[in-house]
Amino acid sequence: MSERDPDAELVAGVGRQEPSAVRTLVARKLPRLLALATRMLGDRMEAEDVAQEAFMRIWKQAPRWREGEARFDTWLHRVVLNLCYDRLRAHREQPADELPDHADPAATPDAQLEAQSREARVRAALAALPARQREALVLNYYQDLSNIEAAALMGITVDALESLLSRARRNLRAQLAGDDLAGTRTSR
Amino acid sequence: MTPQRFRAIVDAYGADARHWPEAERAAASAWAAQHRSEADALLAQAAQLDAWLASDAAATDLAPDAALIERVVASAPANRQPRQPRQARRLSLAWPVGGSGRVGWWWSGAAFAGVGLIGGLAGAFAVSFFLVTGNPSPGPESSYLTTGFGGTAADWSDE
Repeated sequence: MSERDPDAELVAGVGRQEPSAVRTLVARKLPRLLALATRMLGDRMEAEDVAQEAFMRIWKQAPRWREGEARFDTWLHRVVLNLCYDRLRAHREQPADELPDHADPAATPDAQLEAQSREARVRAALAALPARQREALVLNYYQDLSNIEAAALMGITVDALESLLSRARRNLRAQLAGDDLAGTRTSR
Repeated sequence: MTPQRFRAIVDAYGADARHWPEAERAAASAWAAQHRSEADALLAQAAQLDAWLASDAAATDLAPDAALIERVVASAPANRQPRQPRQARRLSLAWPVGGSGRVGWWWSGAAFAGVGLIGGLAGAFAVSFFLVTGNPSPGPESSYLTTGFGGTAADWSDE
């Protein structure tokens, strides 16, 4: 890696337990981590928990951090994604009898469509994507990682990343277009 | 740049050239400039989805609230403070399912203190018993050695 890691000095300061470095790192990273976890989990409160856990990992690793092995930001994204996948797996493994017995009348498709704002519809469409497609899209589009960085982070080739991105966008388009059609039907 | 490759780039990365692969950005932009109508048709479709995605950016990329920032800052070794009420509230929500590293850490601290206290009392009892009878006391029952908090330290130390 020829370029210097832009976070290297800050992480060194955190490793030395400098309060100003801690505060600067939180200001720099927390919004990005929170956005990443919110999109992966679809739940702001859970995302806050993940962000706090990620920072506990940072405090632990910072004194041992060595520049040159991986960019700090890339490592941090991986930590957050792993924490998110742990939670997504836990949700999947929850026994079915913990689910509510009766459907919430407010959550029926028609009522939902009327109530959902444009943002909520996008969020629902994102949440409905397969996790790897969502991860690829979130990293490339929202986290502004390059295709090479995102592919490396996901442990796949750039070609495989492009395939995930194309499928993610196709699925989103189909779902949002479907919502539009359904919205037109219900408003008639 | 071929028409197929331009289409593949737009399909994967959208209409905004900032998201395109850096190595191909200039060539793709040049191709779009030379083939305006063909490029515009592809870009228009992708831009529609980009606009949808951007609407979520405005809603989700909100600044973290001040309380969260302070909790995170306070969790750094240089700033460790007693746990905040929010943690206690989340603890009650998490129990008995558990699973959160933060909650596990809180419990492992309580478990550690409790086991230490019990161990001290057991030691004092064993010494006094030995002095009275002249024989070592029997070892504690195995169930005495286990607590309800046994797995929590492992949860916390898990990387």
